[in-house]
Amino acid sequence: MTDVAIAAKSGEGLLKQRMASFSSSFSYDETAYHLPVSYALTGIAVHDPTTAADAYIRAGGNPIIATECLLAQSAAGKEKEPAPYTGFVGDTVLRKLGYSLVDGSILGLALLVGTPQNAGSAAGICRELQEKYMLTFLAGKVVPVLLENGIKLGLEYRLIPLGSTNAHGVHFVDIIARVAMMFGGVAPGDAGRLLTYAAERAKAIVIVFPGLSDEDIALVDAMRVLGFPIISLGSYTSDAWITVTPVDAVRRGMEAKGIRVTVTAIPIPMGCSPAFEGKSIRKEEMYVEFGGGRSPAFELLKMRGVDEIKDGQITVIGPEIDAMKEGSAHPLGIIIEVAGKSMKKDYEPVLERRIHNFVNYGEGSWHVAQRDIIWVRISKEAVAKGVKIMHIGKLLASKFRMDFPQLLDAVAVTLITDKEKVLAAKKEAEKIYDERDARIKGMRDGDVDTYYSCTLCQTFAPNHVCVITPERPALCGAISWLDGKIAYEISPAGANQPIGKGTLINAQNGEYEGVNRFVKKASHGEIDRCSLYSVMEYPMTCCGCFECIALVLPEVNGIMVVNREFKGVTPSGMTFSTLAGTIGGGAQTPGFAGISKNYILSDRFLQGEGGISRLVWMPLQLKDELKVRLVKKLSEQGRTDFFEKIADETTATTLEELGAFLDRVQHPARAMKPLV
Amino acid sequence: MGFDLRFGWTGPIGGVTLGATRSEGGTRRVSYRIGGGSTLPFLDSNSSFSSPLIAFEICDNPVFWPPIVRNYCGDLVNNVEDWAKTADSTYGADMIRLYLTSTRQRNFSDIPAVGKAVEAVLSATSLPLIIEGSNEPKIDSEVFQRCGEVAQGERLLLGTAEANRYRSIAAAALAYNHSLIAQSPIDVNLAKQLNILLREIGVLRDHIVIDPYTGTLGYGFEYSYSAMERIRFSALKGDTDLAMPMICSPADTLTIKEVREAESAVQDEMAATWEFYTGLAAAVAGAEIICVRHPETVGKLRLAFTSMKNGTGSAQVR
Repeated sequence: MTDVAIAAKSGEGLLKQRMASFSSSFSYDETAYHLPVSYALTGIAVHDPTTAADAYIRAGGNPIIATECLLAQSAAGKEKEPAPYTGFVGDTVLRKLGYSLVDGSILGLALLVGTPQNAGSAAGICRELQEKYMLTFLAGKVVPVLLENGIKLGLEYRLIPLGSTNAHGVHFVDIIARVAMMFGGVAPGDAGRLLTYAAERAKAIVIVFPGLSDEDIALVDAMRVLGFPIISLGSYTSDAWITVTPVDAVRRGMEAKGIRVTVTAIPIPMGCSPAFEGKSIRKEEMYVEFGGGRSPAFELLKMRGVDEIKDGQITVIGPEIDAMKEGSAHPLGIIIEVAGKSMKKDYEPVLERRIHNFVNYGEGSWHVAQRDIIWVRISKEAVAKGVKIMHIGKLLASKFRMDFPQLLDAVAVTLITDKEKVLAAKKEAEKIYDERDARIKGMRDGDVDTYYSCTLCQTFAPNHVCVITPERPALCGAISWLDGKIAYEISPAGANQPIGKGTLINAQNGEYEGVNRFVKKASHGEIDRCSLYSVMEYPMTCCGCFECIALVLPEVNGIMVVNREFKGVTPSGMTFSTLAGTIGGGAQTPGFAGISKNYILSDRFLQGEGGISRLVWMPLQLKDELKVRLVKKLSEQGRTDFFEKIADETTATTLEELGAFLDRVQHPARAMKPLV
Repeated sequence: MGFDLRFGWTGPIGGVTLGATRSEGGTRRVSYRIGGGSTLPFLDSNSSFSSPLIAFEICDNPVFWPPIVRNYCGDLVNNVEDWAKTADSTYGADMIRLYLTSTRQRNFSDIPAVGKAVEAVLSATSLPLIIEGSNEPKIDSEVFQRCGEVAQGERLLLGTAEANRYRSIAAAALAYNHSLIAQSPIDVNLAKQLNILLREIGVLRDHIVIDPYTGTLGYGFEYSYSAMERIRFSALKGDTDLAMPMICSPADTLTIKEVREAESAVQDEMAATWEFYTGLAAAVAGAEIICVRHPETVGKLRLAFTSMKNGTGSAQVR
C-alpha cells in the first residue's frame, strides 16, 4: 500500500528538484493560452526557465504547474507522440469540447490514469462512462491496456488518449483551465475564480489505477484543490481519495461530483404531463379510490442516506390493482424516500407537497389534499390500459428525479395497500407531521430578520407581492415562512426571495423600511408601502388565491372575514366572489386584505386595528373549522367568552342585524377607537 | 414639453453589439450597438435615440416560406446568396436574417450544408447577420455548433433560444462569441426566467436580445404589445434581468386570411401594409430590431422611423 500523503510530499520534492534543473525554452502549439494551467493560475505566460520558475513560485510550488512545465519542456523540439496519443489538445478542438459541455451533450469529464490490473474492468469503466455521456481522457499505461482489449479510442468514442505517461494527465487540467478562460470568463491569473469555476462548474472526476510514481501522486493529489474527486482503484491509502471497487467507480465518482444523468421519459402505460393536472376523475369514471374518508390513506416523504435506498426502487406492499374490485375503496400509504447530497430534512414537507401535483400529472390518476387526509383515484380508462399501483410509484419516483435534479440523487417509493400495515405506518407518519408543525409553531416574526416574498402569482396578477412571515403565511395558505425559506434554498432564482426587514417604521402596523423597498421593486414600482398587520393602512396586495378576505365594516366599527367556500351574501352586502373581484389582481385596497385561514389564529392578526377584538363576523363553516384552535388560543388570553361574540350567517346577514347582535353580546369592537 | 420624458426611471436598457468590422475582428462593413435607451422610443427627438434596425428575412429552403414573398421575389428565393445581396443593395435592409429552413426537412442530416449556407451569406453581404438555426432538438447541437464555428468573429445574433431548448444556442454563443435571441411566449415572467437560465449557464447580459413573440396586428398583437410594454417598463424601473433590447418578427402577417384572399392586384400592397403596421407597432412598443419578409415593407418602415425620429412627419410626438 502506498500512503498518498507521504508519496505526494516526496513527489513534490522531486518535482521541485527537476524544476531547478532545466534550461531550454518551450511552448505549446495552437493555443492562445501559453501553458494554460500556469497562465490561468498565475497570469504568467511561461515560455522559458525564468518564467517557469516565476509561475512555479507564485503558485506556491504547485505540482500541476511543475508537471506542466516539465512536460512542455521535455516535448519541446521532439516529434509528437505517435497516434493514437493526442498530446496537447489545441484551442480549436477544445472550443468544440467546451461547446458539448455547455450544450449538455456531454455531462462531465473524467481522467483515467495509471495501470489497470484487470483489463476487463478498465474496459467496463470506460463503457459505463460512455453510456453516461462522460468525456473520458486517458493517460499512462491504461491506454495500451485498453487498446489490447479491443477498446476503440478517439474523440468520436469519447475516449481520448492524452499520452503514454501518467504525467500527460496534466493536459486534463489544462483543458479545464482553458474552458474556464474561454467559457467561464475567468481572467488569467485570477486563481480564486479559476478554483471556484473548476469546483462548481467543471464536472470533472479522476479515476486512479495502480502504478503511480510519487511525482504522479503529487500531480493527481493536487487536483483535489480544483474540486475533482479522486476515485482510487489502486493500493493507495488516503483519507482524501475515495477507494472503490471497479463496479462502483463511475457511480461513486459521479455522485461525489454531483453529475446526474437526467430522466426524460417515464415508462408507464399512461400519459404524464402538467396538461392533465386540472382533470378530475368523477365517480363514474373511477376504477378504484383511496382515502377521502372512505378508507385510511396518507402520504409521507422522508429523507434517507444515499446508501440506504436504491434509486428507482418501487415496492408495493399488499394487493395490486388487479385484486381490487371496480368502484371499491382501499387503504393506501404512499411513502417516498429520497436521498441527495444537498437534501435537507427541512425540505421534506415542501417536497411532500409535490406528490399532489405529480399524481395529478398522470392522465388517469387524481389526487387531492395532503398528509393523512389525501384522496386518490385511478380511472377505469387507465386501468384498462394496464396502469397498476406500481406505476403510480414509478411516476412519482421519476418526476421527483426530473424536477429536482440538483437536490435528489435517489428516490424510492413504497406503496402500501394492506390495511393493517397502512394503519401502522400512518401512526408513524402522524408523529412526523406533528414534529414538523412544532418546528414552525413556536416561531415569532420578531425572531427572524428575514421574511420571504412570493411572486408566484405575478403570472396573472403582475404587481402582486406576498410577504411571508413566520406568523403570517402566504394569503393562499399554501406557503409558510419555512416553505419560503426552503423554496429559496432549492431554487435561488425562483419566486420566493429573502426580504431583509430593515428598520422598523411602524410597530403596530408591522411596517418595515426593508419590506417597503422590496415590495416597491417587486411590484414594479406600483406599491410604495406595505404593512404586514394592517387592513386599513397600506395592506398587502391581493392576487386572487386568498383563502379568506378580511374587510372593514365601518358601520359596526369592526372587521369581518369570509372564506372562499362561503357562497352566501355577507353583511357587507357582497358575496365572496364579488369581493374577490373587487380587490384582486395585484392591487392594494385599503380596508380589504386577502388572508390565509391560519393567519386568523396568529397573534399578529389585525394587530394594526387592535387585534382579534375587531373580528365581528365569520361564516359558520369557518368558525367551526377554526373553533378548537381559536377557543384554545382565546382562553389562554383569558377571553373564554369572545368566540361566541363573533357573529355568523345564522345570527346576522345584514349590517343592521350585525349591529344589533354585537350590541346584544357586548362585542368589544363597539367600544374600540373608531376605525375611520 | 413640460414633463419629464424619463418618468423617474432608473435603469437604462443594456447594449448589445451585432456584427464586427475588420478592426473588430470580423468582416462586416458595419457593426451596430443596439439598446442603451433610458425611456420609450420616439419620445424625445433630441436624444441620442437611434431608430430600430430593419432586418430582412431570407431562408435556404423556400418551401417553408410564405407564397406571397416567393411570388414577389421570384427566382431570387432559390439562391440564398443573390437574395441576400438584393436585400442588402436593393431592398436596403440594415441586417440579414437567415433562416436555415433546410434543417426542417424530415431526417435532415447534412450539417456541412448548414455551414456552407452561412458562409455563402457571409460572403454575399457585408451586413451583420442574424442566423436562425434548426428547431429540432436532435440536430440542434450540431447545427448551432457549425453556425457558431463558421462565423467565429462575426458577432452573429443566433436564434432562437426557448425555455426548454437553449443549451445548444448558449453553447454556440459562448464558444464563438455571438449573441442570441431569447424567445418566450408573450409572458414577461417567462422572458425573465429564460434570461436567468441563460445567465446561469454563463451567457452575459450584453449578449441577449429578447424576442417577446410577435402576434399579428388584428390577430392578437395587443398581447405582444402588452408583454413588451411590461418587459420594457420593468427594465426601465431597474430590473436588469429584463433590460435587454428586443427583436420582433411579424412574419405571421403574411399568411393571414386578409393577405391570402386579397385581389391579386393589391395582394402585395396588403401584405406589406399589414407587415408594416405590425412592425411599426412593435417599434413603438420598444423593439430595437424589426424583421420583415416582404421587400416593400422595408422602405415603408424606414420612412416612418425617419419621420417619427426627426419630428418632421405627422407622426411626431409632442
